Amino acid sequence: MTHIGFFFRLFGWFILRPMGSAKGRTLTVLLGVALGAAVFTSVRLAVHASLEAFHRNMDAVVGRAEQTVLVPGGRVPESLVARLLSHRQVKAASPISTTYVRVAGSDTEPFLLLGFDPLLDRPLRHWRTTDAETPVSAWLDLIRHPGTFIAGSLLAERNGWKTGETTTLLHAGEPMTFRMVGVMAGGGLSAAEGGMVALCDIATFQEFTGWRGAVDRIDLILAPGETAAAVQALKKDLPKEVQIRPASRTRESGRMMIRAYQLNLSILSFASLFVGTFLVYSLVALNAASRRKETAILRSLGASPRMVFALFLVEGTALGLMGWLLAIPVSGLLLPFLLEGVSETVSTLFVRVSVPGFSLSAWEVLLSFTVTVAVAGAAAVQPSAEAMKVPPREVLAVIGRRGVPDRQTKRLTLAGLLMIAGVWPLARLPGPTGLALPGYAATMLLFIGFAMISPAVLRRLGRSVSIPLRRLAGTPAYLAGRYVKDSGTRTAVSVGALITAVALFVSLVIMIHSFRETVKLWVEQTVSGDLFVASRLAEVNDFRDPMTRDQIALLHSLSDEAEIVASRRFSLLYDGRVPYTLQAMAMDPFLRHGDFVWMRGDARASRPALVQGRGVVISEVFANRTGLSVGDRFRQPLQGTAVKLPVLGIIRDYRTQGGVVFFAFSALQAQLGDVRWTGARLYLRDSSGWTAAELRNALLERGGGSMDMVLGKDLRGEILRIFDETFAVTTVLLFIALAVAALGIATTLTILVLERYRELNTLYAVGGSSLQLRTMILWEALLIVSVGEAAGLVCGFLLSHILIFVINRQSFGWTFLYRVDWSALALSVPLVIAVALAAALPAFRAVFRQPPAAMLRER
Amino acid sequence: MSLCRALGIAWMGAALFAFISPAFGSGGYATVDGPCHFSFPRDHGAHFGHRTEWWYYTGNVRTEQGRRYGFQLTFFRTRILAPGAEDPPPEPSAWRTSQIYLAHAAVSDLEEERHLQAERIARGAVGLAGVQTDDGRVRVMLNDWSARIEGDTHRLKASDAAFSLDLVLTAQKPVVAHGDQGYSVKGAGPGRASCYYSVTRLAAAGRIGTSGALVPVNGTAWMDHEYSTSPLEPGLTGWDWFSIQLSDGSDLMLYRLRDAQNGTHSASSGTWVGPQGTARHLGSEDFRITETDSWTSPASGAAYPAGWNIQIPSLEMSLTVSPAMADQEMKTPETTNVVYWEGSVVVEGSRGDVRIRGVGYTELTGYAAPFDAPM
Amino acid sequence: MSGESKPLIIAESLSREYTLGETRVVGVNRIDWSVAAGELVVVKGNSGSGKSTLLSLLAGLDRPTGGRLIVSGWDVSRLSDKHLTQYRRKTVGMVFQSFNLMPTLNVMENVCLPALLAGEPYDAVRERADGHLRRLGMERRFDHLPSQLSGGEMQRTAIARALINDPAIVLADEPTGNLDSRNGTVVMDLLADLHRTDGRTVIIATHSDMADAHATVEVELKDGGIV
Repeated sequence: MTHIGFFFRLFGWFILRPMGSAKGRTLTVLLGVALGAAVFTSVRLAVHASLEAFHRNMDAVVGRAEQTVLVPGGRVPESLVARLLSHRQVKAASPISTTYVRVAGSDTEPFLLLGFDPLLDRPLRHWRTTDAETPVSAWLDLIRHPGTFIAGSLLAERNGWKTGETTTLLHAGEPMTFRMVGVMAGGGLSAAEGGMVALCDIATFQEFTGWRGAVDRIDLILAPGETAAAVQALKKDLPKEVQIRPASRTRESGRMMIRAYQLNLSILSFASLFVGTFLVYSLVALNAASRRKETAILRSLGASPRMVFALFLVEGTALGLMGWLLAIPVSGLLLPFLLEGVSETVSTLFVRVSVPGFSLSAWEVLLSFTVTVAVAGAAAVQPSAEAMKVPPREVLAVIGRRGVPDRQTKRLTLAGLLMIAGVWPLARLPGPTGLALPGYAATMLLFIGFAMISPAVLRRLGRSVSIPLRRLAGTPAYLAGRYVKDSGTRTAVSVGALITAVALFVSLVIMIHSFRETVKLWVEQTVSGDLFVASRLAEVNDFRDPMTRDQIALLHSLSDEAEIVASRRFSLLYDGRVPYTLQAMAMDPFLRHGDFVWMRGDARASRPALVQGRGVVISEVFANRTGLSVGDRFRQPLQGTAVKLPVLGIIRDYRTQGGVVFFAFSALQAQLGDVRWTGARLYLRDSSGWTAAELRNALLERGGGSMDMVLGKDLRGEILRIFDETFAVTTVLLFIALAVAALGIATTLTILVLERYRELNTLYAVGGSSLQLRTMILWEALLIVSVGEAAGLVCGFLLSHILIFVINRQSFGWTFLYRVDWSALALSVPLVIAVALAAALPAFRAVFRQPPAAMLRER
Repeated sequence: MSLCRALGIAWMGAALFAFISPAFGSGGYATVDGPCHFSFPRDHGAHFGHRTEWWYYTGNVRTEQGRRYGFQLTFFRTRILAPGAEDPPPEPSAWRTSQIYLAHAAVSDLEEERHLQAERIARGAVGLAGVQTDDGRVRVMLNDWSARIEGDTHRLKASDAAFSLDLVLTAQKPVVAHGDQGYSVKGAGPGRASCYYSVTRLAAAGRIGTSGALVPVNGTAWMDHEYSTSPLEPGLTGWDWFSIQLSDGSDLMLYRLRDAQNGTHSASSGTWVGPQGTARHLGSEDFRITETDSWTSPASGAAYPAGWNIQIPSLEMSLTVSPAMADQEMKTPETTNVVYWEGSVVVEGSRGDVRIRGVGYTELTGYAAPFDAPM
Repeated sequence: MSGESKPLIIAESLSREYTLGETRVVGVNRIDWSVAAGELVVVKGNSGSGKSTLLSLLAGLDRPTGGRLIVSGWDVSRLSDKHLTQYRRKTVGMVFQSFNLMPTLNVMENVCLPALLAGEPYDAVRERADGHLRRLGMERRFDHLPSQLSGGEMQRTAIARALINDPAIVLADEPTGNLDSRNGTVVMDLLADLHRTDGRTVIIATHSDMADAHATVEVELKDGGIV
């Protein structure tokens, strides 16, 4: 006990007091760590909020359902409900249908209407109304009265609805008057869609949507017993087209996707923290170096090497701890921004989530605390170990700085080169689906490898440039070169921070640009068309509502003006596990106006087969997720029949909900008979002389108001807008990492100045002017920054390959055409150098913080 | 018991459908205000215009080895909207209906003292539940549970994870209409009545399973069928209902309506059915029921009477009624959420100088909570 | 700039005070003093006597807070930064107790450094440095880094560095403080030789007795004043 007490007293005397007297430096480091920790924490919390919202939603929607009965690409006949309920393997069965609907005459977002049987659903899902006095009446009203619903609290609040009031809802453009008979209280189903949900009786739902005779799915609780056997037995008794799946399947795939995204962002945000820890390293290293004398005294007075090690290690840890505390208010500022950005991205990329707010997760807080403190502590290990080696006899010796021996640099360089060499093989290791773990490990290895070779690069640079520099820029530049050559690992640390930040910057600039260019190409070719039409809310409702015959006839009436490419979409699971969209499209007109962006397969040779429905093209994502390749056979049960066609090619596609498979509309027709469209795209004929907007207006005038219509130009713009929004969060993280790196350079340079005050003052004493000294510092900064920037560029290009061809593939299943945005990079180089040099300003100011005369007084 | 049953439904209605229209009044439903003029097989079927209706079977059976079981299977029908008050859209969904069905089933394994129970609920649509009358055959069903009546034969089927029963019941006596040709008055005021008949003695044969395997059983059963529109009279908290088949060939139905002070309401009554099927009405003044024991449910905490002395001076009858096993408490969280005791009983006593024995079923309601408690 | 008749160094009521937190510390206090050219002055005094302050002022590392200091015609108390730098380059050469060699530069480079800072081309300086180093017995050590030298060699390098711009005054601050007695004697002899042979003014602050034999003038400081 007393031992520990003594340790902390010593820590206070020896570490905290000097820290307090160097407030500016300590605060800078703390700010850097705090920024890193805040980014890490708030990103984690923001994704956690989305994940939690998703879970709440899924828990509410899935309830206690164990298995789900559905028909891929179709609906389940309602007669199966009674059949299932009479089955001895079934304990409970509840039919569910859902659709997104809109409030008539209102701009509010669509909300989920869930049609169910309140009686049959009782064992599965929990919910209650706020009206506690007659708790039974609300759900009974649902059954008793047509056109009644119970609203989620948020939905009722947003629309200002009161129990008993009526409102008109629109489904696929068709209105129906509803009466609200209650508002859900908290818990259970009320959490679905963050409260933007309404419940109605299945009868009302069918009368509203017109989907009579069938339901979306039937959720089951099985009788006690072995699940697999029960499912087998049930399958035998059900029609062929009906499938049974674990109810948690949707939850699992959604969860996996958000988790992957969380990991991706975590690692990106960890980069900020990582860069921040360079600061901890520099500060602890400086303190250890500048307190060498004190350390020697401590040792001579009987402190053990372990105690010295512990003192400096605890200093690093304390910096982490204080940085983390400081991160709390910073996170408070960042979080609202990230919360919105992240939930939008998750909704755009993966699954619809509605995040009402965030809740503090003890686990996330603990994680961020542990990671920050541990990483800061780890950063202090090496300087602490150095300090531990200070021999007690040094208390009697003259202080002399030692350069880093060549041998050590060589070993470092060798290790660094080996690491860089290991990057590509590591990146190519197989990892878990959706988690780019090998990719991220490779990235880490790349950063560390580059940081390790930076002393050698500096040495080489210093050696080769100092002589020319003397000729070109005089003695200060020469001295700077000589210093950089021998500055060893200490400079390498800040160079490492800079390399990391620059590499992140460069690689993300390249990746985002490549991504955007590829998406643009895809949008222009594959999302071609002048006008897109679909039934109302078709997109959010997974294109399950075919267009009406009237709507189709209306489109045909304009066929003189525009060529119509009909399409039918199905949201399916391939092999019961890979979610994707199967899209049948009139291939001939489509390929005349647009094209796929082919990756593999012979586009020209495959065309006839594609047009005639003798094959499919599959997206890269779908190919990666399923392992299907050109020449393999694609098989999908569909409404009682099956699509079995060879894969003709792999194409690029960047729609967000997984993969996509295209085949000819005629093939679908041959398979299913009369097929209704879920949407169509229209290409204006050259002869028409109309604009797309005129075409839309013509449709509107003729009663096309019941369809969703969007101009191709607008749709393509919207896709790119969403794309840009998605990367807004990434860009912010990027700039924060750069800012932290700039802080790192500021600290390192200041430290380099402070710890050389004796040398600088000697230079002054032997005739150096303060201008010469500052010039020298500037040259040092310039050299260090140049090395950082140059190595960062190289590292960044390597990293961009990993990002595009490894991490994106591992995380999302897609890659892009490699495109470098040279102009943005060219602009960024001077920008980064300017930022880094600005970071040298505090160092200039520090040059004469110790008066030259002090040198003579120090004995 | 049909009365009890009737009341049972009424209180279940009270619980499940407390919302139902004004507290009193038929509001468009078919009412019961005179003799019911039963005609069979028609009246075995449903009376959809009335608010509530139930088909109720109980029985005591044993295997060849003498292993004894009690069983009950009850189907309830309730109408949630009065005829004429409905406002269906032009093209109603197949799910659109005003009829809701509930069913409770239980098997009392008297040897091992296990009480197995299950419940079902569904609307009367899309093949989930309903009552069909077809060429003289009546089928009451809810999922895979059913009661089929054809002539004197009643075929019962019900099963759950823990038990199943499959029995053929054959009437040993003709149908007995309670009250005035089935017009069974339930309280003061017009329309506070039900149409109520029973088959008090049926021979039961079939199979019962309590642990997987079905075993053949034989014994006696009881059937009630009752329909009504009016709710229970205010102030009543529950009832004790008895159906007893005696060794002298006679059967007895008695119910005691209780108020909050455990007093007996004057509408309490009963019916004695002689060996040849002749019925004699018993008014509340004709019998006296004394509780001799009690049992507290560990599950619900409710304290039930668990032994009775029944005196019927006009029949010179003195009976001691004891539960065949203590715990036959029904818990129905998924349907009515009402807790009651419904169980097999054994009877000993005398008629005049002759010692008689018997078996029966007793229903005790309102002990766990007043029966108008919301579900 | 320096006349035979005028003293090389004139201090008039020279003062230097420091503020350390809230207390004022007197470095030197109203010193009136002069040194003629070509003297070898030994300044003695205990720790805190004002020795170092006096030396800093003479070296142009610090400015007086009161009085005047005129060295070789430069009014050190009034020099601009630019002229102060000129002063340090041309007028004084410094030798420190702890040598203060640039650890990353070799012996030759260290010696050339002041001349390079003054803007001379390296090749011209090398010749001069060569001469100084040879004279000091360092001819085989040109390419060594300071960390590869003994204490005596380091101090000889430092002396060569002090001489490279041919200053009128060589200032030595405890030049033997970090040396053993043998090396101390060698260094002291070298400094005395600068005075004897070149006629250079040498000022040595020390509390060792080794310099006593060479001194032409001895000054003792106590509490910031000359005793």
